[in-house]
Amino acid sequence: MAEIKQEPMSKKKLEYVRRERTKEMRQQVVSFGLMIFFTFIAFGMVAMDIDASFVIPVVIGLAFVQVILQFFYFMHMKDKGHEFAKLFMMTGMFFALSFIVTFIYIVWIGSPI
Amino acid sequence: MASTAKKQGVGSVLWDYLTTVDHKKIAILYLIAGGFFFVLGGIEAMLIRIQLAVPNNDFLSAGLFNEVITMHGTTMIFLAAMPLLFAFMNATVPLQIGARDVAFPFLNALGVWLFIFGGIFLNLSWFLGGAPDAGWTSYASLSIASAGHGIDFYALGLQITGAGTLISGINFVTTIINMRAPGMTYMRMPLMTWTTLVASVLIVFAFPPLTIGIFLLMFDRMFGSSFFLVETGGNTIIWEHLFWIFGHPEVYILILPAFGIFSEIFSTFSRKRLFGYSAMVFATVLIGFFGFMVWAHHMFTVGLGPTANAIFAVATMAIAVPTGIKIFNWVATVWGGSIEFTTPMLYALAFIPSFTMGGVTGVMQAAAPADYQYHDSYFIVAHFHYVIVGGVVFGLLAGLHYYWPLMFGNMLSEKLGKITFVLFVIGFHTTFLIQHFLGLWGMPRRVFTYLDGQGYNTANIVSSIGALLMAIAVIILVINIIMTLAKNQRVGRDPWGDGRTLEWSLPLPVPYYNFAQTPLVRGLDAYWIEKKANNGKMMPAESLEDFHMPNNSFIPFVLSFGLFVAAFGALYFASGKEWAIDAVADLPQHPWALWVLILGLAITFGSMITRSLKDDLGYYVTKEEVLRDLEEEEQRREN
Amino acid sequence: MAHMEYNVPSERWPAHPETATMEGKNKFVGFWIFLAGETALFASLFATYLALKDSVPSDDHLLAADLFALPLAFVMTMFLLTSSLTSVYAVYHMRNNNFAKMQLWLGITVLLGLGFLALEIYEFIEYTHLGHTFRSSAFGSAFYFLLGTHGFHVVIGLVWITLLIIRNAKRGLSVYTAAKVNTAALYWHFIDVVWVFIFTIVYLLGVL
Repeated sequence: MAEIKQEPMSKKKLEYVRRERTKEMRQQVVSFGLMIFFTFIAFGMVAMDIDASFVIPVVIGLAFVQVILQFFYFMHMKDKGHEFAKLFMMTGMFFALSFIVTFIYIVWIGSPI
Repeated sequence: MASTAKKQGVGSVLWDYLTTVDHKKIAILYLIAGGFFFVLGGIEAMLIRIQLAVPNNDFLSAGLFNEVITMHGTTMIFLAAMPLLFAFMNATVPLQIGARDVAFPFLNALGVWLFIFGGIFLNLSWFLGGAPDAGWTSYASLSIASAGHGIDFYALGLQITGAGTLISGINFVTTIINMRAPGMTYMRMPLMTWTTLVASVLIVFAFPPLTIGIFLLMFDRMFGSSFFLVETGGNTIIWEHLFWIFGHPEVYILILPAFGIFSEIFSTFSRKRLFGYSAMVFATVLIGFFGFMVWAHHMFTVGLGPTANAIFAVATMAIAVPTGIKIFNWVATVWGGSIEFTTPMLYALAFIPSFTMGGVTGVMQAAAPADYQYHDSYFIVAHFHYVIVGGVVFGLLAGLHYYWPLMFGNMLSEKLGKITFVLFVIGFHTTFLIQHFLGLWGMPRRVFTYLDGQGYNTANIVSSIGALLMAIAVIILVINIIMTLAKNQRVGRDPWGDGRTLEWSLPLPVPYYNFAQTPLVRGLDAYWIEKKANNGKMMPAESLEDFHMPNNSFIPFVLSFGLFVAAFGALYFASGKEWAIDAVADLPQHPWALWVLILGLAITFGSMITRSLKDDLGYYVTKEEVLRDLEEEEQRREN
Repeated sequence: MAHMEYNVPSERWPAHPETATMEGKNKFVGFWIFLAGETALFASLFATYLALKDSVPSDDHLLAADLFALPLAFVMTMFLLTSSLTSVYAVYHMRNNNFAKMQLWLGITVLLGLGFLALEIYEFIEYTHLGHTFRSSAFGSAFYFLLGTHGFHVVIGLVWITLLIIRNAKRGLSVYTAAKVNTAALYWHFIDVVWVFIFTIVYLLGVL
């Protein structure tokens, strides 16, 4: 049960696995760059006093993009064997959204809908 | 450690249970503790019914009555129904999927100890200045105003048990995803396993909002924050939302495993495959999902507005559809079956009409405008007792009789079981059917007494007589349990004779490693298939070899004890402080409180760190030992 | 016992050491489910914060727009984002069976996390001086509870990773320790995910 059932890898296989890992690392660095970039844009837009009705959806959208990058690349959700993880996180996000929407609209702030 | 027959001293048995990580023993711990709290909650129920039996009664004072109803609800939901369901989930699910244990045996033990310490803490309130008295929902405006430490016991006790429940939920989801035997695909899992899976998923998503809600309450009452204090900008509707975001799924967390137990019983004692298996699975998942989208139907009268009420009303009514699918499938399972009227089957048959009645009144209340009439009346009390008792408690009693041989290796008396059944079912309907009418006649819930001449007298005395019948039934059940344990007539494999699922393929008592060889599952009702095709012997999926098992550990107990200690520190922290809310501001100061809090948390985190630093690699069960056990089992069978 | 085997030669080191054992697989699945539960936990916190934002007893209390300073939030974000990348490096080296570098990158992650934590404490002290405290208003309570819970997660993450560095220093790398490192890294990433929503919803939308 707890044994390493790994057959020794051939040198070629090992090199291949390493190459794949390096490739993945490159993707992760790129996504890190993107995340930094998005953060800059988000902070920049807010700092520049652009119209709020435009900034709010864009900033929230950028947050979601960042989180998707984080999940898929940093937390390896793009790899095989993460199906249930995706299912659970998506369910969680859906519930999260519904909690937040109700707390904005129906806790007696302003008029009831 | 292999021979369970060997006589052990009391001390070593006790130590074994304190440190066990075996799901079968943990199931027994849940059963004992849950059973104890069930009796406690039942006594509280009797006190309520004695007080309400006649008008203008002064058996309980108004304040004490509030404490009793609060503790009755809280105890029954958190400390009786859920742990008892966990007992059956622990006893059956790993066996049904062909696993040697759950995914996280250590966390399983942690879950049970957190529950036990939380339950004890909550009930200590009776001796330490008064129990919580704001109802099991503990709505914030009321619970902030409640003087003394009662509500603090509620908040801290539930926080501790809640953590245990969340841990167990994660554990079961992981177990069912990861530990299934070869061939046990999702669509071959027994319904008990399916409902456990869905209920556990609900736990994973429903308990964190409760945790947050209780933290808000704790911070307001014990650390001077102002989430619910309207004068400093707070908003008490937040509590209602958080509580019901948890509270509604909680209802499904309770009822789904009961549905699972009934599904097993129906197909076993009708000697038929469950009718519409895939529809049942689909309905279970759908109920789980909808269960999350309807919480505001508890808040129709808050004034959320017509749009919000309409959305939640429609979603609520939609749940009736998958539930209806289930009811029809059970009826169709029984239809044309070769029925055997055992005690579990009787409960299952009684469950269908009882639960359906509760469901129908549920749809009535889902209509938001009508709910303004029913709200806070005895109609509501009747409704939720019809679903909780007619559904969950019937399920628990059925499960107790059905799974008893699996857990203890002997059979409860069928004769006493049937007497219990008759008394309990008659008592149940006598108690609660009449309460629908009481509600419609205008009797509000949560009142400690009523006046003569309001027309409530006859109905209330009838209701109290019914409660008495239920109490007698439970006493007979306890006698039955004691007699069965004292006689201890052992039964062998498949004691009901009609077992269909994997758990019945095992010898009784089940070896601590469950399966000598992981079985190969060839279809739904795996054991039944092998009975038809292979003389009732499961085909092994692996050769007989050494396998790995987890070590026992005392850490779960210590870790939970740490939180128990810390809770006392938190409880008395705000007493008499100038920033405290009015409810506790006048109490004497306890300068030691902070240190107790720190000490308790130090014990808990110390245990966690110890656990993390040690390599806990478990041990191996050798092939020789398993072979010896198999031979012994063979000999016993020949005798 | 093979899963106790440390310093396995690279040819026999599995491609996915963190899930090479049943225990590792369970940990991996169980932890993702835990994170899904944490999503519901933080959702409740965000919801509470949004419901109580700027909800103060009187006009002399500071509101979100008066309090929050973007430069500080930006620097904190950079610290945490970078630490997320460094923990990715640690997992990369763990998979490559390079124990020393794994330890090094875990150490860097801890340092960056400490930097974040220091800034957060500095921020809280500033606000307290301005009269915005846990007890001053419902807004204050909600703000500190949301940020505090996140900060508490950071502390737990830091203690966890530090303990792993210490406990593994003498032992080295095995499939048993690999699973532990991977789980801690997942936790650390999730903390970053939550922070992305915090800087967006609390800070960016707060000053608008």
